[in-house]
Amino acid sequence: MRITRRLALAGLPAVALPRAALAQPRPLRIGMITSLSGPFTALGESMRAGMRLLLVQSGERFADRPVELIVEDDQARPDDGVRKARKLIEQDRVDLLCGVIHSGVALALRDVVTEAQKPTFILGSANDLARKAASPYVLRPTKTNWMLGSSAARRAYETQSGARVVTAASDYAAGREYVGDFVTTYQGLGGRIGRQFWTPLGTADFGPLLTAIAAERPDSVYVFFAGSDAVRFLRQWKEYRLAGRIRLTGTGACFDQEDVLPAVGDAPLGAINTFHQSPTAPASAAFVEAYRATGKPLPGEFSTTGYVCGQVLRAAVERSNGDPTGNWAQTRQALFDAPIDTAFGSMPFDPRNGQAILDIHVNEVNAGAPGQPLVNTVVHTYPQLRDPGPNA
Amino acid sequence: MTRAVLAAALLAVVTAVLADDFLLRFLAEILLLGIAVMSLDLLIGFGGLVSLGHAALFGGAAYAAAIAARAWGGDVLLMLGAGIATGTLLAAAMGVVILRSGQLFLLILTLLTGQMVWEVAFHWRDVTGGADGLRGLPALSFGPWALPGAQPLFLLAVLLAILAWLVARSYVAAPIGRALVGTREQPIRMSALGYSLFAVRFRALLLAGAIAGAAGALYPFVNLYVGPQSVHWTQSAAMVIMLVIGGIGSLWGGFLGAAVYLGIQTYLSAWTDRWQLCVGLVFVLTVLLLPNGIAGGMRRWRGGAE
Amino acid sequence: MPDLLGYAAVQTLNALSFSALLLLNGLGLSVVLSLMNFVNLTHGAFFLLGSYVGIFWLGSGAPWWLAFPAAFLASGLVGAVLERFPFRQFYAQPHLMQVLLTYGLSLIFADLMRWGFGAQILTPELPETLQGVVFILDMPFPIFRLFLIGAGVALGLALWLLLDRTVWGAVLRAAVSDRGIVETLGIDTRRVLTLVLVLSAGLGGLSGALGAGMLAAYPGLDEEVLLLALVTVVVGGLGSFGGTVAGALVVGFALTFSKVWFPEFANLAAFAVLVLLLMLRPSGLVAPPLRRI
Repeated sequence: MRITRRLALAGLPAVALPRAALAQPRPLRIGMITSLSGPFTALGESMRAGMRLLLVQSGERFADRPVELIVEDDQARPDDGVRKARKLIEQDRVDLLCGVIHSGVALALRDVVTEAQKPTFILGSANDLARKAASPYVLRPTKTNWMLGSSAARRAYETQSGARVVTAASDYAAGREYVGDFVTTYQGLGGRIGRQFWTPLGTADFGPLLTAIAAERPDSVYVFFAGSDAVRFLRQWKEYRLAGRIRLTGTGACFDQEDVLPAVGDAPLGAINTFHQSPTAPASAAFVEAYRATGKPLPGEFSTTGYVCGQVLRAAVERSNGDPTGNWAQTRQALFDAPIDTAFGSMPFDPRNGQAILDIHVNEVNAGAPGQPLVNTVVHTYPQLRDPGPNA
Repeated sequence: MTRAVLAAALLAVVTAVLADDFLLRFLAEILLLGIAVMSLDLLIGFGGLVSLGHAALFGGAAYAAAIAARAWGGDVLLMLGAGIATGTLLAAAMGVVILRSGQLFLLILTLLTGQMVWEVAFHWRDVTGGADGLRGLPALSFGPWALPGAQPLFLLAVLLAILAWLVARSYVAAPIGRALVGTREQPIRMSALGYSLFAVRFRALLLAGAIAGAAGALYPFVNLYVGPQSVHWTQSAAMVIMLVIGGIGSLWGGFLGAAVYLGIQTYLSAWTDRWQLCVGLVFVLTVLLLPNGIAGGMRRWRGGAE
Repeated sequence: MPDLLGYAAVQTLNALSFSALLLLNGLGLSVVLSLMNFVNLTHGAFFLLGSYVGIFWLGSGAPWWLAFPAAFLASGLVGAVLERFPFRQFYAQPHLMQVLLTYGLSLIFADLMRWGFGAQILTPELPETLQGVVFILDMPFPIFRLFLIGAGVALGLALWLLLDRTVWGAVLRAAVSDRGIVETLGIDTRRVLTLVLVLSAGLGGLSGALGAGMLAAYPGLDEEVLLLALVTVVVGGLGSFGGTVAGALVVGFALTFSKVWFPEFANLAAFAVLVLLLMLRPSGLVAPPLRRI
């Protein structure tokens, strides 16, 4: 008796399935590679939350095709990221890949997805992916480091052309790119650059650096730090009373709305940063509201990027009538043909390298509501910046 | 023993034909890391020298092979030569620094020297690609024959694993290997017998470096990429974890440990964010219940059954 | 000229404050190592737990100075539980097994804490009194760091007095060198060892609460801190009290001044100095008297 019942139960879905399968197209499988452990854990969780939010809003369907999201952890380690990508491609048979924060993972993935001809939407920002490592299978719906470094230099020169600027940054690929682009642009405009300070990634004590900057007495400092480095730097920046005495400018990641600002009190009040993301940017208003409605704080770069990535994926599915991978060249072209409406604003792609062309905002870090963290407030926007691309 | 080797070779060929590309690369990665863990077993299991810098030898060799491949192409013999030479040289340098110390001092010295190698790999951007690492490697080749794809890589890894195991096995059975165990158990008596503790340990370290270097030489070809994480101390710590899970002092336990560790990491992480908790639990349970690892547990179980 | 003098003075103070943090962090580890010959790699987890407890306490509005005892108690409690099982079974085991066990436990704790406290970076709200700054020859130096230096000196002294100048300390040292004799005096040595472990774990938590003001708290900090503590204790010479002080000073100054003089090769330079030191003095700066027979 019991056996029959169980058999009957087991048989139910088997009977029901074919009819359902007739009515429904095969689900679209999207693989997301992000950091759910290691140094970028918080960013990775935000990215996943942003993407999930978009999926929920779309009713888990793009262009009437059900969507399945499989998230894998890369630990911010290229070897693990590549292994997970291969697994997603070959064992989980995903149709599209997306994600990645760490630029080493992004660059390592580039060859793998190109060889496997798997359309991939990369969210890491190394300049090279828009240049000599560009690939016909990689699209990047986010900024390049150049966009932020060079726009910060333009802003600095336009507002304070005579200032002597020193730089301070974490000594690794991203820091070198941001500061390099900042310095080249600023000097190209005729600005004066003082000393360039570098500190190891994961510096516990910024006291020595801050004391050196205090002794240098520059007019302004351009900084890049991320995550815990940014939090320590900014807090100690205030402790050493440099806040208010030296103008602080930097890349947006150093003042990330979700990752950094809640942890630094009022230390960076009045600091200027350039970023493609801002909770006060008009284009992201709807997203900001929806994200906060899920009980989250004001969104930062990676929750917005995850959401935008979902919007671009949705556009890819819609513009290919539900089958983005059947003819990828066509889908890609369809994405290039007209800008996509995203939480970063209207987003056209550069057909040379599949790189998004973005509005870059100048954010001023202002006081928030009483008892709430500071808020990145847009004070100026450089519209539609395009990376120099393969010619750089 | 010949039968075991033959069976392994046959199994490998069958796997190479049947398995998909991902699985082959995954198995190759397990084998290559397993070789490195086995060489670490020579130090920890036989010499009592707990190293937290073994990834520097392995990853340093991987960098050397990747750099050589970009300059001169990916000939297997060239790769192995570059890897073994680099692994041995780094081991020699490390040996000079660490081998006058013991216990925790040795642990910290291996950690520091390993991290110095990492600092070089991380900051020497022109040569190592810095934080972004090196990509765009050519495929492996052997003389005029190209060896593209996962199958040759896997078969090479199997071949290397068998060779490395034979070398390590004959080493620990030889007088010099017995002397290494002696320096662990009775250092004072060993020096009274006229052995130089330094020389015995130094040779073990050189051999471990050469084996780890050979494995490291092929490692970049798993992903056609090498980056500073493969030199970092956390990679060394992962190797120690693999060794403990697999079984200290068994040589082949390293392969088991690598398989368990990478298996958890690869297959569990899609299901739960708590996979690191699982690694930790497996690790602690192994230490508590199977102090000789899975290999030791299997041996005990077989011994009990017979 | 006063510029240069002020600069040198403040950089020295920077190094001192970092050394104080290293000392606080290393003391707990060195206590169990020297007194019980037990290598406890969960120490980083005690530190991070203390940081979290301290941060939540300081954010709660309760009297701020109670945050430190609270962190001490929280970590000490965890230490007490762990001492029951499984640490106790491993006191007689070789260092390798202790290292493996406690490292595995630290992985578990790291993930549990990430689960409980989240992956966000958290920082404490320091009380007004600690937020100020003093100017030394026109160079700013935060009062919080003076507080850290003070706390390091005070705790170090207190611990030294406790272990070296009280009956309790004498019992403890006796229990370590000859357990049997102490047992015959009617003292439960097990309890003594438990207390040492609780003290060590509590010190870890306390230093975590103090250190959070400088380091913040986030998943992964436990490992960074553990490494610093290990290096400090080992360079000092494994657990003699003076050794830990010397180790903290050497590591603190090496890491600070390498950043001042060779900012681009800071870690490489600092590591090279430490390696050289350990090569010249293979048993650390202050080698404890040999206990082996």
